[in-house]
Amino acid sequence: MPTRPDLAFVRKIPLFKDVDESTLNALWPCLRERRLRRGEVLFRAGDPGDELFLIYSGSIVVSKLVTGRVEQVLRRMESGETFGEMSLFGDEQTRSATIQADTDVVLLGLHRDNLNQFIESNPRDAAKFFLEMIRIAFKRLRDTSELVAEVTRWGLEATGLDVEHR
Amino acid sequence: MSNSSDQVEDRPKRARIELLVRQADGDSFQVREVQSARAYLESRPQRIPDQDCELAQLPSGLGGDRTFVLKNRRTEDYLLVTEQEKFLWEKMDGHASLQEIGTAYVLHYGAFDFDIIPTLIAKLRRAELLTMRPASRLREVLARNRRNPAARAVEATLHALERLTVGSRKAHDVFARIYRYGAFLLFTPVAVLLLAILVVLGARGAVNLWHESGEVTAGLAKHPLIAILLVKLCFWLTVVTHQIMHALSCVHVKRRVREFGFTMLHGFIPTFYVDVTDVFMANRRARIMNALAGPLVHLFLASVCLWTASLAGPGLVKGFLAASAILQLQSFFVSLYPFCFLEMDGYHIVADLLGMPTLAHDSVHFVWNELGSRIRGGLRLNRQEVAYVAYFFLSVLSIAAFVLLNAWVLIHAFVSA
Repeated sequence: MPTRPDLAFVRKIPLFKDVDESTLNALWPCLRERRLRRGEVLFRAGDPGDELFLIYSGSIVVSKLVTGRVEQVLRRMESGETFGEMSLFGDEQTRSATIQADTDVVLLGLHRDNLNQFIESNPRDAAKFFLEMIRIAFKRLRDTSELVAEVTRWGLEATGLDVEHR
Repeated sequence: MSNSSDQVEDRPKRARIELLVRQADGDSFQVREVQSARAYLESRPQRIPDQDCELAQLPSGLGGDRTFVLKNRRTEDYLLVTEQEKFLWEKMDGHASLQEIGTAYVLHYGAFDFDIIPTLIAKLRRAELLTMRPASRLREVLARNRRNPAARAVEATLHALERLTVGSRKAHDVFARIYRYGAFLLFTPVAVLLLAILVVLGARGAVNLWHESGEVTAGLAKHPLIAILLVKLCFWLTVVTHQIMHALSCVHVKRRVREFGFTMLHGFIPTFYVDVTDVFMANRRARIMNALAGPLVHLFLASVCLWTASLAGPGLVKGFLAASAILQLQSFFVSLYPFCFLEMDGYHIVADLLGMPTLAHDSVHFVWNELGSRIRGGLRLNRQEVAYVAYFFLSVLSIAAFVLLNAWVLIHAFVSA
């Protein structure tokens, strides 16, 4: 991780794209680098969580346990995307899904305390941050709805269930 | 203009899901994309346990095709299956995948019909084969026009009327008791002999009435409204007897009466019904006897009415008995007449004798979709197809003749008046 703030990267992240440069410069030292090798699990669904992660490079797979060693792939995420917000701001402080590296990955983790400090000391930037977060949440909700429909269609096709004529 | 490639593009893509499969060490994983079509082929359907189902063979059709009836003993649902479907059903043991079953089918029959397995699975799942609930074209049209308040109102009314259905699934015990306490006598040679004697007496009465037609019409004309209501009411009540006879003959051949009740057919025709589907598990003789039992009630009543009418003096009673006899005779012939696209008792007998349980449906389908191309191609029809064509055209001719006869009667009545 570069010691000087990589503003080009941070601006790529929707959550921070409208945040003042000075705030980003102040936030940069708070980011903690994590490196994962391909296949390595960062955390599993149900683990306690207190960090928001930014994908600096590489890609990760988000999955949810279905049965035994089989998990449903919910989405893939790449450089410039964020994850882990749900356990910071959601009603449960545990991870909702399992994250594993699809390639070698570099992540930047932002701890809950640092994020709270950023929000309290920069209310205007915090508003922009949360506005983006709502947009991301809505997009993910829409993606999830589409995934539910696709999985349902898959189930109907895979089982040959004739619902129309029942 | 669309071409085949456009059509392929228009078709919705098969759904696919991504599954992450973790290795046993837990440190590595593979992501596999699974298409629904692949999952379908790898599914392993399992039929219900043998003790929960029963299979009976129907007589071979004209084309030599064998047909079977599959009964779910637990739900009492019946399924008509072809020999090919029976082959597939027997392979559905929970171990063989659909792909393996399809391969077995190809090896056995030398060809594959891509619709047969999904269609069979849908049929097996649906399970409810014969429902006494009518699904009429009228209801379909109303359902399509729900935006129209009038259609909505009619549909709601029909729905309310249909809810008047009263049925009992425990009717079998009642009919078994009735049979035990005397109804078994109806299925003896003595009963047949008595019916034959009554038919002779009735025929003689009919000849006498023919000469006394003036008395009959005068009796009816004196009290027209009462006569019409009485005849209709009595006729409606004989419908119950018709259904009861079907039920008793079902008991006679040691099969189960599934249901007996009252419903509003198509939402507005009050009628009684009996579900004797279980008789399909018996032999052909039993099925034909069951089909005949109902119409014979009308022959019996017609004979009694004709005989007593010939003995009665002039007046309303004579007119009522004579009119009832005509209605009963009409019901007897209509019930037994097979060629009218309606699947009544006579139709079931013909279909059974031909070994073509779906004759009406198949004949319409064949004439509508295939006959033209077969004639243009100069191809000869096989015996089964000849039966389809014969059934279709005899039915069309019969309906046309029936309409013309009624028109002639009406015109004749107006002219006479």
